[in-house]
Amino acid sequence: MRNNDVLDRLTFVFRKTLGDPGLILSPGTTAHDVQGWDSLMHINLIVAAEKEFKTRFTTREITALRNIGDLLDLIARKEGAGAPKG
Amino acid sequence: MNDSRTLEYSELARAGRNCDLRGLPQIRVAILSDAATQLLVPLLRELFRRAGLAAEIYEAPFAAIELEAFNAASDFYAFRPEVVVLLNATQALRSSFFQHSAPRDFVDETESRMVGVWDAIRSNSNALILQSTYVAPYERLFGNYDPKLATSWTTAVAELNRCLVASSRERNSVLINDVDAIASWVGRRTWFDERFWDLAKSFCAADHLPSIARNITDIVLAARGRVVKCVVLDLDNTLWGGVVGDDGVDGIQISAHGEGESFHRFQSFLLNLKKRGILLCVCSKNEFAAAIKPFEEHPEMVLRKDDVTIFVANWDNKAENIKRIRETLEIGYDSIVFLDDNPFERDTVRSLLPDVIVPELPEDPADYVKALSELNLFETTNVSLEDGARANLYRAEFARRSAASTFSNFGEYLASLNMMIELERFESSRLGRIAQLLQRSNQFNLTTHRYNERQCEDLMLDTKCMPLYASLRDRFGDHGLISVIVARPDMAKRALQITDWLMSCRVLARGVEEYLMNYVVQQAYENDLDLIIGTYIPTAKNAMVKDFFAKFGFEKVEESPDGIAHWQLRVFDYQPRRTYIQLETKQNALAAEAI
Repeated sequence: MRNNDVLDRLTFVFRKTLGDPGLILSPGTTAHDVQGWDSLMHINLIVAAEKEFKTRFTTREITALRNIGDLLDLIARKEGAGAPKG
Repeated sequence: MNDSRTLEYSELARAGRNCDLRGLPQIRVAILSDAATQLLVPLLRELFRRAGLAAEIYEAPFAAIELEAFNAASDFYAFRPEVVVLLNATQALRSSFFQHSAPRDFVDETESRMVGVWDAIRSNSNALILQSTYVAPYERLFGNYDPKLATSWTTAVAELNRCLVASSRERNSVLINDVDAIASWVGRRTWFDERFWDLAKSFCAADHLPSIARNITDIVLAARGRVVKCVVLDLDNTLWGGVVGDDGVDGIQISAHGEGESFHRFQSFLLNLKKRGILLCVCSKNEFAAAIKPFEEHPEMVLRKDDVTIFVANWDNKAENIKRIRETLEIGYDSIVFLDDNPFERDTVRSLLPDVIVPELPEDPADYVKALSELNLFETTNVSLEDGARANLYRAEFARRSAASTFSNFGEYLASLNMMIELERFESSRLGRIAQLLQRSNQFNLTTHRYNERQCEDLMLDTKCMPLYASLRDRFGDHGLISVIVARPDMAKRALQITDWLMSCRVLARGVEEYLMNYVVQQAYENDLDLIIGTYIPTAKNAMVKDFFAKFGFEKVEESPDGIAHWQLRVFDYQPRRTYIQLETKQNALAAEAI
């Protein structure tokens, strides 16, 4: 899957979860940049992203996330590992 | 399932963060937990909103249960909660168990601390307390030997749950929030999400938080009288397999073995509901003669004719029939569950009578009982002996009504009923039923104060107060405890103030309220009081008693814009009402029972 598709889907998930239809995400976006993205919302976002991409992140993966770019990479890695491109 | 009923975590959480609570009556809920509860709060708010309540929620700081409960000056008490949710996580218990030096003492110590919290809350507040059960842990340190070993972690949790539940039985204001039951429904493997416990001390996997929230709202609503009182049943392919009109009595499937067993199990489940006081009615599109036949003739039917309070079989619209059933029973639409295998009928009833509870039934009748159990439709917060007799009472009521038509004058009819009333101050043995009536009576209820059992006990012990209950029986049967009146002398005004007056609607129009008013006025007279003062507080359901005081010659002295009216009557102006009821003293009642 191309990174842009993943970003689109992730944006959709974040908009829905945060209730902010105008939200724009980029790889550099951090929690500080987004209104309402606190530690609790973080869990909601992780849960929603796991559902959307049908994957499960480990505790270490979750704590290592610094920005959207990290999350995109993580999803790409998981997808690559789960369903190798053929 | 339509969207407004979803229990999907993300959707519910979103709805809960943005819900509009304007104009809804408030309920004050405090949550004390040794886990983080922030994720639960929006879910609770949304589920209460769906039930028509604006939840004001106080979240105690993380793991501060005892700090809050034992400090009478805490913010928690200042919040004045009506409901206290005590939510205890197995993960939190785990760390204290494994640090504990003596596993044998662990259960006792933990239990007495938790019960100490209840009792501290009880001495500082009248709130209803909801204590969670601990979810059984997934560790199996000794394998199958775990439950056998008295000191194992598995045993400790099981024992603790058992002790907590037993202690709750001695405390009416403590109800059990059986989280272990909902966790075992989904399974421990998915219930626990240790990542989010580690990262945020979140109680369980987010997907299952809604079921905890629903358990809490179910209990609270039941405690406030929102309970199912009647199940309306379809027949063909709901209560038995096949179509009785086509297949005949011998052709339908209903037996303890084979294909009919699903229906047999379903009928047994319904019979148990009836035994605990939920009325069963039939609403079927059928010829009456064909529809009633299996109840009379089929040897393997579990439900018999006498188990059904109202039997309707015709070709009318089912919503219309349910409307008639409701009118006869004098209960609210929201206390009726309608069960029908036919999606069309379910849909019709849902759209015409939106307050009736119409669950989806699974395609396979084998799953009926399981599906209904998952929905937890039949929550209750107390059980009294009278519950079980209720169905019989209603049937007697119909006999009574048909008898009414054979008398030329109503007084003659009432006299023929041989009504005996028992009228006493509150007493300990009746507090359960008194509180239940206070919670459940909606229509004939002048002020709708929902005192719980503890508050009733306080009234009973208050010597300045006159808290009365009345029971009624007649030649058709015993109605049990049917009316509650609380009055209080106001010496400054030389008045008797009626703060509460409610009555079960099934004894309407036979002179009970007249009898009771005669008694109340007599009490005022004997206590040298000049006035009787009464209050009416309107609700969505009690319009029938709006003019209750006017009927007895009271004058309205004040009415606020929201309809709260104050009435008063001079004792000397009162004209005692003619009734056909005799007072039954306790001695008489005992003698009657002995006969």
